[in-house]
Amino acid sequence: MKKVHKNSGFKLPENYLENFNDSLLDKISLQEEIKLPNKEGFTVPKDYFKTLHKNISDKLEDTPTKVIPLKSYKKYYYSAIAAAAIVLLFVGINFNKTGDYSIEDIANADIDSYIEYTDLDFSSYEIAEVVPIDNLDITDILDAGINEENIIDYLEGDLDSFNELNLDSYGY
Amino acid sequence: MIAEQTLLEELKQTETQARAFEKLVNTYKERLYWHIRRIVLNHDDADDVLQNTFIKVYRNIDNFKGDSKLYSWMYRIATNESLSFLKSKSKKMGVSSVALQETLINNLESDVYFEGDEIQLKLQKAIATLPEKQKLVFNMKYFQEMKYEEISEILETSVGALKASYHLASKKIETYIKEN
Repeated sequence: MKKVHKNSGFKLPENYLENFNDSLLDKISLQEEIKLPNKEGFTVPKDYFKTLHKNISDKLEDTPTKVIPLKSYKKYYYSAIAAAAIVLLFVGINFNKTGDYSIEDIANADIDSYIEYTDLDFSSYEIAEVVPIDNLDITDILDAGINEENIIDYLEGDLDSFNELNLDSYGY
Repeated sequence: MIAEQTLLEELKQTETQARAFEKLVNTYKERLYWHIRRIVLNHDDADDVLQNTFIKVYRNIDNFKGDSKLYSWMYRIATNESLSFLKSKSKKMGVSSVALQETLINNLESDVYFEGDEIQLKLQKAIATLPEKQKLVFNMKYFQEMKYEEISEILETSVGALKASYHLASKKIETYIKEN
């Protein structure tokens, strides 16, 4: 025999049947076992509900609607708070700000010390490329001046070194 | 739903506002009163909070977006008003919220508008021991017999969490009654 599924269209709240026992037991337990009353025992004065609407209407007439002053100072307070917040923000940002340093701000002794103790790994040619030779004087490199005669004596004994100086390109 | 929508439109129009407000008060006054009364316990306080609730509803009806039902929105206002009232009361008295609850319960015995018997008084004492959320859920479920879906919309809490709160509250009340 073919099974006919009949759907009545009724629906139950979710978990209704699962929770039904608990709800029922709670109610039975309160009302039957410990004989809990259904009413609290509160009463009201005679005709209280009959006169309630009139009492509320009277109160409504007596209670003035909240008056909002046309010249509200509230917006000025907000402006003042906003201005104070901007000033505080500005001061706060600049208070702990570390300044922008340039190479001039570093003491020469620090630079010397850095070059001396750090392996920069530059070749003489790389240094020569960035150092403007035109503005250099021999005293920039050597503290004591060298006697010109001593230089000539040296170069005469070492002609290859003299040619390497390539003095022609500098107009010597 | 259609009635609620019509009422809302009438509340927002000046010429129909007064009549619509009367209809609104008459429709919801009892339900909201008992909801508030269960939180603040005392009639005079409940009356104050209820009137303030309706005044707030009236004044803020233009701000009601219609995301929830009008009824849920009003319940939410009533709940918030009641809890705020209790907070300011405990502040004025200079006592903690727990101490205020004890005072309110003790005052019930001499309250002319409380005619409860021993077990009803004990039940109120038991409810007073619950945390705020469990107290609200218990009152709304047990006394007002609201659906979890409705409570969920008012308290903006999931149905699952509400069921857990109600179960815990019931167990605590049961234990309290048995032990006292």
